[in-house]
Amino acid sequence: MSLKAYNPAWAYHEAMLHAAARWHRRGLLTPEQHQAIRARYPLEFYRPGLFLRIGLFIFTCIGAAGAAGLLALPLAEAMSSDFLLVLALLCALGGMVVLEVSIQSSRLYYAGPDNALLYSSLVWVTVFFIALAHDLVPVASRDFESLGNPYVLLVLGPLFTVFLLASIRYADRLVAGATYVLLLLLVVNALLQVPYGRAFLPFVLMLLAVGAHWLVRQFRKRPDYLYYQSCLTLLEVLVLLTFYGAGNYYVVREVNAALSGAFTSLQIPFALVFYVLTAVVPLAYTVVGLRRPSRLWLLTGLLTAACSVATLRYYHSLLPPELAAVLAGAVLLVLAAWAARYLRPARHGLTSLPDDEQPPHFNLESLVVAQTAVVPQAPQPGFEFGGGQFGGGGAESTY
Amino acid sequence: MIPDQLLDDLQTAQLLSAAQAAAIREDEQHRPFSLHYELRAALYLGVTLLAGGLGVLLYQHLSDIGHGVIIGSMGLLMVASFGYAIWHKQPFTWGQTRPASFVPDYVLLLGCLLFLALETYLQVQYNFFGSYYRLATIIPAVLFLPLAYHFDQRGVLAMGLTALASWVGVSIAPLSAFTENSLLSSRLGGAAVLLGLALTGAGLYSDFADRKRHFAFTYISLGANLALLAATVSLFDFYLYSFLPEALLVLLILGLSAGLVWYARRSHSYLFLLMGAVYGYITITYLFFQLLDSGLGEAAFMLGMLYFVGSAAGVIYLFVNAKKILRLA
Repeated sequence: MSLKAYNPAWAYHEAMLHAAARWHRRGLLTPEQHQAIRARYPLEFYRPGLFLRIGLFIFTCIGAAGAAGLLALPLAEAMSSDFLLVLALLCALGGMVVLEVSIQSSRLYYAGPDNALLYSSLVWVTVFFIALAHDLVPVASRDFESLGNPYVLLVLGPLFTVFLLASIRYADRLVAGATYVLLLLLVVNALLQVPYGRAFLPFVLMLLAVGAHWLVRQFRKRPDYLYYQSCLTLLEVLVLLTFYGAGNYYVVREVNAALSGAFTSLQIPFALVFYVLTAVVPLAYTVVGLRRPSRLWLLTGLLTAACSVATLRYYHSLLPPELAAVLAGAVLLVLAAWAARYLRPARHGLTSLPDDEQPPHFNLESLVVAQTAVVPQAPQPGFEFGGGQFGGGGAESTY
Repeated sequence: MIPDQLLDDLQTAQLLSAAQAAAIREDEQHRPFSLHYELRAALYLGVTLLAGGLGVLLYQHLSDIGHGVIIGSMGLLMVASFGYAIWHKQPFTWGQTRPASFVPDYVLLLGCLLFLALETYLQVQYNFFGSYYRLATIIPAVLFLPLAYHFDQRGVLAMGLTALASWVGVSIAPLSAFTENSLLSSRLGGAAVLLGLALTGAGLYSDFADRKRHFAFTYISLGANLALLAATVSLFDFYLYSFLPEALLVLLILGLSAGLVWYARRSHSYLFLLMGAVYGYITITYLFFQLLDSGLGEAAFMLGMLYFVGSAAGVIYLFVNAKKILRLA
């Protein structure tokens, strides 16, 4: 049995056709060449459009839940003590078997049903290990929500192993992301067992992020990296977020307080270091994103910049929110309008024109406007003064 | 890094000449990086923050000297926004315009948002429309819908439809349609279904008559969702008097769902297939459990589970063969 569940050629053909379509659009390939490439690298797997995938995912989940229900009733009658353990094990194994068979027979490749089956199996695996650890651990230590509990290792360790194996075999990005989060939790759990572990937590996590980033870059040099491309993209985002989060002042201060069981958070040691990190890291991400250029770094940079602004406002409210909204809105509007004009057609390797890489999402934009632009509601009769609702964005208010 | 590997393979397969490979490498290196969607998002965020913030400021300075300044600047900004949009307007066509820049679209949106804020203020503060308060909600609809057609702006169209819905008394926004309409009374349920059907009809008309065909998605997704949701809610409502007999409601939902599936085939928009399948499935499941005799005990539970497994398999079969089935339909 191969290590990979899907045919690795599928990933390669997909990447090839994607690139060839781009080169063809940009006039770098003749139509005949494009045709020849498409004939040589056919797409032999089944993956429908986004909305069909969502539908397939939902209905596979319904079917899997129904099957689990069918299994649960006779099991509950046959045995009472280890009912949950057996049910979880059977459901996890059954899901895996159906997953493997359907990939083989229907050539599913992230088509919806295979994602749903994989996730439901892994959820049952998680249930299994939690139930197992629950039975093994002495009653006094069953507080699994506390990360400082050494017995959490009993759950996290096996789970990490299973998720890692599943990531290697199925190369699913959510599973890979979950594996990374489990690794982080393992590290935090281990650190909290040693003296002064809590004080070093931010620095160790930042080091871990640097190491993980190096690993991701090494991975990109492997010949089979296309099979794991979507996983590596998500992992890179998570690594960047870990590095930022571990140095963010709010996170460090509040997590420190939560871990020490204090009700109010106090000023932390090395506060200056964290002030600087909170301010500088988003800027660095954004600059790298624009210079490299990399959309992943850019968007992560903008997201973390928003978090940094929120951090600042949490501890020091410099301006009342509505004034801040007006100023920020005006600055954003003017800046974006200027950039749209300045970067047309292209300057410094940047452009404001649409990239033919990205599919147009204008249709969804009107739904976003319908969702966020709130129109005054007709006040109830006899209540004329109370009604009236307006707002939009993050500044919704009722008067 | 990847293109290198791909290009080498193409060259060994003799599908690409060395000169072309070099040209592609050069293009991959120097192709400009598009900030198009980032800038659009920034403009939208800026517009909503600005209009929202000004709206709040207006009420916080009701009695002091800044009040007039705020109203004046909002009015001026609104006029300037509309002026800018008119200045950059493309000639009218029933098709889709291709403007040189996307900035005027958002400036127009800012004008509309400021209009809403000012209009609400007039009503709340001066009771401008008196007891004709419903006028306050129909005015934006009457203004925004022609503006949307005039400027070819789908965001303004969505705002106009939202205003129209709030004139009827329901919320049309895709997400708040679920949360805010939970108190749909029987009267509003009927109105919501009628409005939803009317919007769906308008969408179909714009597609078939080729009158702003690209508006059809907004009309149909908002309208059909509203109608189906309102009908489903009153189907599940035991306590309120329903505006339609249950059998008719079921027929309405199933008919509309089937219509969406049919339209999905026509427009190649599988969002509609998904909507039709989900609402249809909910209704059929409801019917199944209504018919299922709960006195059967465990057997009923097993039957229910069997239903879920079987029906899910059926829908998956339908989805996987969607292309074949839709072509036959």
